[in-house]
Amino acid sequence: MKISCNWLKDYICFYLSPQELADKLTNAGLVVADIKSVEEDFCLEVEVTSNRPDCLGIIGIAREVAAVTGGILRYPETNYICESINVSKFINIVVDDSILCPRYTARVIRNVNIKQSPEWMQKRLRCLGLRPVNNIVDITNYVMMETGQPLHTFDLDKLSGQKVIVRRAMAGEEIVAINGARRALFHDMLVIADSKRPVAIAGIIGGKDTEISESTKNILLECAQFEPRQVRRTSRALGITSDSSYRFERGTDFEGVDFASKRAVRLIKEIAGGEIAGGITDINSNKPVKKKITLRMERLNRILGLEMKRDIAVDILNRLQFKIINEVDNYIDVEVPGFRGDVYREIDLIEEIARIYGYNNIPTKTSISVRGSVKSKYERVEDSIRQFLVCLGFYEVKTFSIVDKSPLQSINLWSDSGGIDIANPLRQEESRLRTCLLPSLINIKIYNMHHGVEKVKIFEIAKVYLADDRLPREKTCLGIVADVDFYTLKGIIESLLLNLGIILNCELVTAGVIESKLFKDGKAAKIKLSSNILGYLGEAKEFGFKTSPYMAELDMDLLVEKSNFTKKYQTLSQYPPVFRDLAVIIKEDYIWADIENCVKNTKANYLEEINFFDIYRGKQIPAGMKSIAFNLCFQSQDRTLKSEEVDLAVQTILNSLQETLGAELRKQ
Amino acid sequence: MIEKLDKIKRNFHAETKKVSTINDIEQLKIKYLGRKGIINDLMKIIPTLPSEQRSLFGQQINLLKTDVTNIIEEAHKRFHSESSSKVKKELFDITLPGKHPFIGKKHPLTQTIDDIKDVFARLGFDVAYGPEVELEYYNFEALNIPTDHPSRTDFDTFYIKNDVLLRSQTSTVQIREMEKKKPPIRIIAPGRVYRPDTVDARHSFMFHQVEGLLVDEGVSFADLKGVLNQFIKTYFGQDVQMRFRPSFFPFTEPSAEVDISCSICGRKGCSVCSYSGWVEILGAGMVDPNVFKAVHYDVEKYSGFAFGMGVERITMLKYCIDDIRLFYENDIRFLSQF
Repeated sequence: MKISCNWLKDYICFYLSPQELADKLTNAGLVVADIKSVEEDFCLEVEVTSNRPDCLGIIGIAREVAAVTGGILRYPETNYICESINVSKFINIVVDDSILCPRYTARVIRNVNIKQSPEWMQKRLRCLGLRPVNNIVDITNYVMMETGQPLHTFDLDKLSGQKVIVRRAMAGEEIVAINGARRALFHDMLVIADSKRPVAIAGIIGGKDTEISESTKNILLECAQFEPRQVRRTSRALGITSDSSYRFERGTDFEGVDFASKRAVRLIKEIAGGEIAGGITDINSNKPVKKKITLRMERLNRILGLEMKRDIAVDILNRLQFKIINEVDNYIDVEVPGFRGDVYREIDLIEEIARIYGYNNIPTKTSISVRGSVKSKYERVEDSIRQFLVCLGFYEVKTFSIVDKSPLQSINLWSDSGGIDIANPLRQEESRLRTCLLPSLINIKIYNMHHGVEKVKIFEIAKVYLADDRLPREKTCLGIVADVDFYTLKGIIESLLLNLGIILNCELVTAGVIESKLFKDGKAAKIKLSSNILGYLGEAKEFGFKTSPYMAELDMDLLVEKSNFTKKYQTLSQYPPVFRDLAVIIKEDYIWADIENCVKNTKANYLEEINFFDIYRGKQIPAGMKSIAFNLCFQSQDRTLKSEEVDLAVQTILNSLQETLGAELRKQ
Repeated sequence: MIEKLDKIKRNFHAETKKVSTINDIEQLKIKYLGRKGIINDLMKIIPTLPSEQRSLFGQQINLLKTDVTNIIEEAHKRFHSESSSKVKKELFDITLPGKHPFIGKKHPLTQTIDDIKDVFARLGFDVAYGPEVELEYYNFEALNIPTDHPSRTDFDTFYIKNDVLLRSQTSTVQIREMEKKKPPIRIIAPGRVYRPDTVDARHSFMFHQVEGLLVDEGVSFADLKGVLNQFIKTYFGQDVQMRFRPSFFPFTEPSAEVDISCSICGRKGCSVCSYSGWVEILGAGMVDPNVFKAVHYDVEKYSGFAFGMGVERITMLKYCIDDIRLFYENDIRFLSQF
């Protein structure tokens, strides 16, 4: 809300520069975002939080200044002289719904002189960014800015049947608002109607038909209180917001209604002349009970960490216009003024006192109790994977969880259910929760390619969202895209597993249909870890790359579950290992796993390790065959092995390979 | 035989005096120590000798061999150092660039979250997580944000269906943790949050927050100040100034916003701090009794504080990054800077 410094000084005397005033207000919770010099005045842009509608009027700000500076508040004049003829002669008011309209007041002023408002008023309105219209409209705006209470004026002669009914809209009714907007109204909306039609949407905007014009003679001044949630719902449904709806939906003061009405009438008489009908039509059936709260000093000091004396608290509450009913020992009984709808509990009073006392005057304590914190298994695994991949030259990326509905983004590696759509997306590009990380990583690879980085090694740890019961299943995944070959990426994944203490017993099987949307045919594998699917690995399809990277997506939740950080020392052998390199010629159909399994199944004595090192197809090898070379390591824990016993073991292995797979030792 | 050895010794010494090039030494070495050299020839004689002489003669040959080897080696060294001082060799250029192993980087947002976790772990805070697709109850009602309340204006939200939404704040994790456990509670909850904001240099429809919560008996606003002071000084540096301002959040009372002195301009005023000298970095406050009521905590017995901060915002301030979109473009040239 914008306020004028000069205007503020009508209600409170202070000797502060605009900047000093701004600092004081900011420290009390009213952030001054901007100070502008306007026509020999200063305009302060004050950010008023949604719980403080009382500060949406300059008097409200003045109250805060008074609380902070200890100055004395001066309220503006509201008295006026009226005719003997009563307002009820001119208008009959009916309130149908006293819940949605707790208070409705009306006053009538006849024979007003519509013209421009005086320069001083126009200047103040301009300072606040309001456009002057005519004296009557300007006065209602002026009083709203002054008190925070919205008001509305009707051209009395245009209201049919001398009647105002506050009721719900009826089927088929519509209204053209002052701003020209035509809106159909619905039954849950509250309107102000005359005997024929709605003439205003309650608390939001007036109708064009009954607005104040140059020819207006007699006016009806409405000043009311409307139920905040109702105003908010209607304002949102119709897409109309106004200074009035902004204030009503935050809550106005029941008692402030008559004050604002009288203040406006006084100004009308002063500025536009006319005769004021006697009395007031004031329909109110739900006068709120004054809230009383007991504040315990002991509670206040415990919550704030202070040792404040009672008289200081009492002083602050007084300055904030709270009424002290009683104070004894460590208790203060307080009556809350009507304009402070936000204060209804002891804790609210504690905040008020803290606010004015100054948050920066509350001590900074460093005496919280000792407590150990333990890293969860998930944390450990996540940290370990990040560290591992970063050291291997990978960059971590972060991409959006909300994606488009393209076929690529619709790929779901992890479940058969569809994606989860956003009901109110901003754009189609971000309208569904992703079911797979790799499409986003592919886009990052392409983005970098277009920015001159040809080769990337990237990964992301993030969630995919799989439709489930009421809430989706959120699965954390690890996505990897790297310009390396298949076996390098496979090796990285295997090392990563070892690093997490997962014993390498994962199995690669040929990938299925879904994976073929991401990976090239025959160049992809599903990774199984015991009976679970750990993830997928393969060469990326043509996504517009110059060279296809290899990619993998792994189930992080499974990695966390299977990871094991307990370690046990294995005795180091005192005796040297014996190595033997072998190359066998074998049919093309057999794979390395066949050889490895065959060798392991022989359970040859002292065989510790078998390591692949080369594959060869060429001149010396018959067609349809290949030569596979590997290294065997033999070792004993208790003695040095003799050459002859290793020879014997190697022979057993060769025999088994020959019998099972038809593999022959390749001669030099 | 001994005389023969003496003669060989004398000859060797005479020959060493004539040596003038490194090549001469090589020749001398071959002549005496080579496979078919004089000493090896002497060795071959040993088996032909009477057994009582073999041991003595063997010892003598070994002495001679050691002597010859030492002298030749010394000569070698001498020539080497002489030649290297006389002849200019290839220059060993220590200024050529080192060979860098290729190492990647954690995303800057991860680095910030890790730093935050680190500070709070030292203060005894565990890390907690909660779902991103959340029931409306956890995002709003349980946090004292009723339907149709104007404070909801600050929390525009992506919806999935009626009562299911994408969380617009990590405060949801507070409720889920308190439902699970009784006090004392000390957690931080980092994670992704979503708000339907049009993307520009300052806004993103997805961003990261870290929420903190401490609940125990006798926790005060002064403790909140102590903990946040500890965090801010550790993360932004000991010289940074801190300011607590009253504010409003439905789930805390009293509520505060915390500013730090602008590191860009040193409080002189610049565009980053809107010429105020201060930049807001987090929201905090004492947990509102209504929140405790939602999780059935005794509001008289327990008190606590909560705080929340935007990870992108803090990272941008720390590294003077002026566009939030950079975090999600993942340009390697950007990522490699942190």
